[in-house]
Amino acid sequence: MKKNILFAMALISLMAISSFAVNPREMTFPPLKFEPPEPVRFIIDNGIIVYFLEDHQLPVITTAALFKGGTVYDQSSKIGLTELTATLLRTGGAGNRNPEQIDQDLDFVGAVINSASSNDYLMLDLRTLKKDADLGFEMLADMLQMPLFDTSKISLEISNRKDEIRRQNDDPGTITRRIYYQTTYAGHPYGNFATLTSMDAIKRDDIIAHYKKFYAPNNCILAISGDLTLNEAEEFVGKYFGSWEKSNLTLDSIPAATMRYKPGVYYGNKDINQANIRLGHLCIDDKNPDRYALDIVNFALGGGGFTSRLTGQVRTSAGLAYSVGSYIFNRPHTGVFFAYCQTRASAMSQAVQMMLDIIQGVKDSGITQEEMDMAKESIINSFVFNYATPDQIVNAKAMLELSGFPSEQMTKDLEAYKAVTLSDCGRVAGKYLDPKNMVITIVGNKEQFDKPMDMFGPITEVPMEIK
Amino acid sequence: MRTLLAITVIVLGFIALSFAQESMQFPVNQFTLDNGMTFLVVERHTAPVFAGYITVQVGSGYERTGDIGSAHLLEHMMFKGSQTIGTSDYKAESEIMIKEDSVYEMIDQARRLTPYIKINNPEKLDAHLKYIDTLKSTLDSLSQISSQYVIQNEFDEIYTRHGAAEFNAGTGYDNTSYFVSLPSNRLELWFAMESDRLKYPALREFYPERDVVSEERRLSVENNSDSKMIEQLIGTAFIAHPYQIYWEWQSEENNLKRSDLERFFKTYYIPQRIVVAVVGDVKYDEVKKMAEKYFGEMPKGIDPEPIYTIEPEQPGERRVEVTFEANPAVFIAYHKTSFSDPDEPTFQVIKRLLGDGRTSRLYNSLVLEQQICLDISTSFFPGGDMGDLHPGLFTIYAYPKEGVGTIDIENAIYAELEKLANTPVEEKELTKIKNNIDANFIWGFYSNLGLSGSLADAQSIAHDWKYLIRFRDKLKAVTTEDIMRTAKKYFAKENRTVATLIPKQTGGAQ
Repeated sequence: MKKNILFAMALISLMAISSFAVNPREMTFPPLKFEPPEPVRFIIDNGIIVYFLEDHQLPVITTAALFKGGTVYDQSSKIGLTELTATLLRTGGAGNRNPEQIDQDLDFVGAVINSASSNDYLMLDLRTLKKDADLGFEMLADMLQMPLFDTSKISLEISNRKDEIRRQNDDPGTITRRIYYQTTYAGHPYGNFATLTSMDAIKRDDIIAHYKKFYAPNNCILAISGDLTLNEAEEFVGKYFGSWEKSNLTLDSIPAATMRYKPGVYYGNKDINQANIRLGHLCIDDKNPDRYALDIVNFALGGGGFTSRLTGQVRTSAGLAYSVGSYIFNRPHTGVFFAYCQTRASAMSQAVQMMLDIIQGVKDSGITQEEMDMAKESIINSFVFNYATPDQIVNAKAMLELSGFPSEQMTKDLEAYKAVTLSDCGRVAGKYLDPKNMVITIVGNKEQFDKPMDMFGPITEVPMEIK
Repeated sequence: MRTLLAITVIVLGFIALSFAQESMQFPVNQFTLDNGMTFLVVERHTAPVFAGYITVQVGSGYERTGDIGSAHLLEHMMFKGSQTIGTSDYKAESEIMIKEDSVYEMIDQARRLTPYIKINNPEKLDAHLKYIDTLKSTLDSLSQISSQYVIQNEFDEIYTRHGAAEFNAGTGYDNTSYFVSLPSNRLELWFAMESDRLKYPALREFYPERDVVSEERRLSVENNSDSKMIEQLIGTAFIAHPYQIYWEWQSEENNLKRSDLERFFKTYYIPQRIVVAVVGDVKYDEVKKMAEKYFGEMPKGIDPEPIYTIEPEQPGERRVEVTFEANPAVFIAYHKTSFSDPDEPTFQVIKRLLGDGRTSRLYNSLVLEQQICLDISTSFFPGGDMGDLHPGLFTIYAYPKEGVGTIDIENAIYAELEKLANTPVEEKELTKIKNNIDANFIWGFYSNLGLSGSLADAQSIAHDWKYLIRFRDKLKAVTTEDIMRTAKKYFAKENRTVATLIPKQTGGAQ
């Protein structure tokens, strides 16, 4: 089947038919002028803050109810309570509907309500056709104000969550992520993961207490978009959320994470033919003014896709990985930086060394003018995609306020990115990147690695048993 | 030098949706260039952005022994730029590429001799292997030389600089798609970039990219329990049709040559097999003008032969085990219809009825009532939204709860399938499915990229984007009798393949 070399040469010459008239490399465009749609913000008596954006293009409505809260507030003996409560708001029955009735009524009209929790936030999210708006709002409101927490559903969700925990070592990427966070955030709730024991410790009273504490109107921002007028939106909010009673909201303060780990290699044993690698350290919080310069540095280092150094060198030139890059996750109580890749086991040390060298290079010498310009152009030109769909616009506004930013933060951010200088980049790269003091997580089969892992520091083998 | 070809066909259609109280309309403008390339344009002036979606009617379902992996590797190579982008001197670069390929050909020839030297002239083996090594280092030095002309990842860099979002591509069995979203004033950039790589491709950095694709296989298949299961499930269910290969085999991937991809490109990347959808803040007239300017001169190709292989009827149940360091799972497949079969819409309804959402029959019965499964879902393989080009599979993926045997899961699933074949579905349940079909259809318009993908897919599979609407209507016309008849016909033991994941006990994992 393989063709001979003459055939290949003939093809190449056939394909080289013409030089191109317009060179895309040299095309320039004026900056895009646009007025971002501005959602309406209003507050109702019980304290709910509402962002609303009217959009009549499709007969649909989206609503997200966002709360401060999240897994950082879980007691260490009951890790998993936040996730479980969020799940049960959706599945445990609400108002005058038992769990089955909720599912049936939503599914019948093709409406969707999902609940979710992250480390720092909680969310319920409704998507419905306009014609079913009443039903959708009523059920969302019932879940938030009158959850039933059906006991049989509590046992089922706990049992299912435990099955998920039993399956947590099935996927190498999941293991890598867990070891990385548990180690980097040792001693801080960001490093907490639910266990079989912590799930067994959760009782119905815990769930109710958790619910009462966090799901309160004075802790809630509603982000509504779609085929409604402002009047209709106000009416829906008043009708379904107006009588929700305020609570005395006090959230514990969460300390900032500090470095409590010993730099080195944290190894997870799994019999696979790749090394799954994630290396990094604690970084800055989400309010740190250096975040703009650091984002630009990270763009050049490994956040900017193919144009970044990590992808260019580890993937394109060396062919060592399909997925490689770096990430900065700015969080309220100290964020993290990490670089990642998955490479064939026999190239483990080559890949880790290459990543460390690239990071060290950026720490020592910063990034180039071209790299900074490229990152800035990309950030500025893609800014419009923050406003691509109505739900994106309101959700982003709501999240900003929930995270403690002023509502004009998005445009402030853009200006701040524009103002970053090359010396800012050099300074933050030198200050925050620290390849000599990293948690180097490696998951795989050490028998297959090209070199022993201790060349990167002392090895801690992380037990894989499931507790 | 070249005259622009006139646009000969202009069809104006409307996707119209009506409800009791509200209605909406999205005009879809269609034109086809003389060379056969079809364009679909939807103007939507809400946000100053647009999505461009290019579907080429070829995928891994077109591969034959010897090209296995071509469709996917070629998709990767299309990101390497063109004869303009990604190079400082294409002429010099291409001369070295030809040398690289001839050295690679010598390596390949020499490797083929190795087994014979081993048995007939073992005393010459060392010299022979040394010769191969010398050739390999020659290839490496040639790559070094060619790299001085390469402007690495420039294609991506240009898009990124101009603010691209959602820039990616995907290789399926029937189609390969290239898509990106850009600020609306970059429409011409998109045309220039895409036409450049489709007209004047340059398959540079070929050998390292082949390694990248191998790494993608290790990540996505070899170390992923679901994919390993699917690989064995479809490999067992199909014995003849190209759909049997889930992901290119490493041994074939390792031996692909640049010339294989060039041949594949030349055969299938021809204008009459390309559908382009542009959705967003663009003007139809401008899109039309630019389409002529940038794609008009692309020469029409020769229609390739289709895949004639028809999967023979399965004579009995097939079973396969996968031993892997993961918890148990059971994946079941039944051979089903292709896109044009009258039973296809019924299958789509059955899929939703059995496995979409918490009130679907399998989820409700196995997860919520019997509580024997952690999760269960239904899908199609390969899984085009309006059916696949060739008969594919209806699949059920189930994950047992701790301590529940996969055989118990199987039996519970078969009981539900039997019920479907023997007991009429109640009107309310069917109405639920149809309400969901309506709702999903509308949400399909929510993002530019989603709509552009649906339009391009419909045009590619049915050769008419309006099939998107006709198909929705067909789904809504499915009756209780259709469901019983189809379930009886296809959910037979003989038509079934079952894959079971057997946990391997190593390391610390349970």
